[in-house]
Amino acid sequence: MIGTHRILIVDDSRDLLDTFNDFFNSMGYQVSVAPDGFEALKLLRNNSLNHFNLLITDLVMPQISGVGLITIIKKEFPDLKIIAMTGYGYEPGILATEAQADLVLYKPLDLFKMEKNIAKLLKINTKK
Amino acid sequence: MRNSKQPIIGVSNSILKIKELISHVASTGLNILITGETGVGKDLIAHNLYASSPRADNNFIKVNCAALPETLLESELYGFEKGAFTGAHKNRLGKFKAADKGVLFLDEIGDMTLSLQSKMLHVLQTGEFSPLGSSQEFKTDVWVIAATNHQLEEKIINKEFREDLYYRLNIIKIDVPPLRERPEDIPPIFEYFFKKYSAKYSESKVEKPEKQIFEKLLKYPWPGNIRELQNCIKKQMVLNDWDKVINDLLNNPTIGTSIKNNFSVLPDNNFDTTSAFLSEFINFSKSSGSLIEDISLKKIKKQACDKIEKEVISYVLSKLAWNRSKASKILKISYKTLLYKINELDINPHI
Ligand SMILES: Nc1ncnc2c1ncn2[C@@H]1O[C@H](COP(=O)(O)OP(=O)(O)O)[C@@H](O)[C@H]1O
Ligand SMILES: [Mg+2]
Repeated sequence: MIGTHRILIVDDSRDLLDTFNDFFNSMGYQVSVAPDGFEALKLLRNNSLNHFNLLITDLVMPQISGVGLITIIKKEFPDLKIIAMTGYGYEPGILATEAQADLVLYKPLDLFKMEKNIAKLLKINTKK
Repeated sequence: MRNSKQPIIGVSNSILKIKELISHVASTGLNILITGETGVGKDLIAHNLYASSPRADNNFIKVNCAALPETLLESELYGFEKGAFTGAHKNRLGKFKAADKGVLFLDEIGDMTLSLQSKMLHVLQTGEFSPLGSSQEFKTDVWVIAATNHQLEEKIINKEFREDLYYRLNIIKIDVPPLRERPEDIPPIFEYFFKKYSAKYSESKVEKPEKQIFEKLLKYPWPGNIRELQNCIKKQMVLNDWDKVINDLLNNPTIGTSIKNNFSVLPDNNFDTTSAFLSEFINFSKSSGSLIEDISLKKIKKQACDKIEKEVISYVLSKLAWNRSKASKILKISYKTLLYKINELDINPHI
């Protein structure tokens, strides 16, 4: 079941992207990554047919911030689930909630816990 | 035409990316923060955003937050009711009202006082404002584009700028690099303005620079960025004497110390006898026998510290495979400060 779920992960830290990519791949998700909000937006707009199920985005990034990305995405892709994550304290988190992210997480992250949240969000039955 | 668009000229990656970004975000109406030194094109970019947006038929209102004292700026932004203070003989509409359904361009936002920052935050949060002396709240529909040549992150640390306001403005961030970091933009910008001013200013034919002179223009650090380049071309229209124009550039008192390397092709420099170590921090190019006027110890201290900090942080990060939270612990600074320094000192992983 999990294998059919596509995740787009956006973060301006390369090593974090690599870690996420490895982890979620090993959990059976199909993972794509983008280094910033702008690249992510382009990716989403170019893949609207082959659509993503979940966006995981950092908040404080140059050019298009996570909050900006979420606001645009919510209009253009209302079905996409969104998890925001930030290492910059609560302020960006509040804005992400206002922009209607489904979940806001604060770094450093517990990936296993995060995966459980994702499964819940995407309504994946992990018991099977 | 109010919404006529002046072109953003340039072939550098940063300019191309900015143009692409404009086309993707102009229709979103999300708050935008434009940062960069003076003369890099922040106004021009704000105007292009507006002209490419669905708001182009309404007003583009610019307010310079550094130009007015606090109380004046406040009434300028929000307007006032008759009797709000002595001298308020009748109601006055503020810029928020004037910019309704259009763009409010807040230039030099970094110079806004903390109390006006609070008021601005409230307006951005609620979408409502009230004129001075009025208890009524008015709905506002403006697209806020802000610009600054300050490092707001630094101002936040110094408690001079509200962090919550910063994040609210910073939904989209356009960072415009100084011209000296994108010299490949100099030829097309030069061409554009040379042509434009030739048509406008001069009857007789004005010399284009010879190759050798143009090299100098390419290496000059342009502390005043594109505006300075424009002025230099205008000057040539009048003087028609490149040697004189270049010489005047050199006498610009704002030329920073760290850029002295760029002067090596320019005439009259003599820092050859000085130790390489010192010349990293001191601009010897202006010294003409009588030694140098501009050796600010404070400035040099900052530059030297930055340099060492950058090396130490890069070293630690590279040893830790860029694990920043670990690095911050080793360096005994907060995670946030580390991220700030990485950004500020432009530290990148070597791939
Ligand atoms: N990329 C560019 N192409 C053409 N003209 C530019 C460019 N960048 C800046 N300019 C011009 O340089 C001058 C200074 O730009 P401005 O937007 O006022 O800078 P800032 O607001 O950053 O101080 C303006 O006349 C502007 O039109
Ligand atoms: Mg300006």
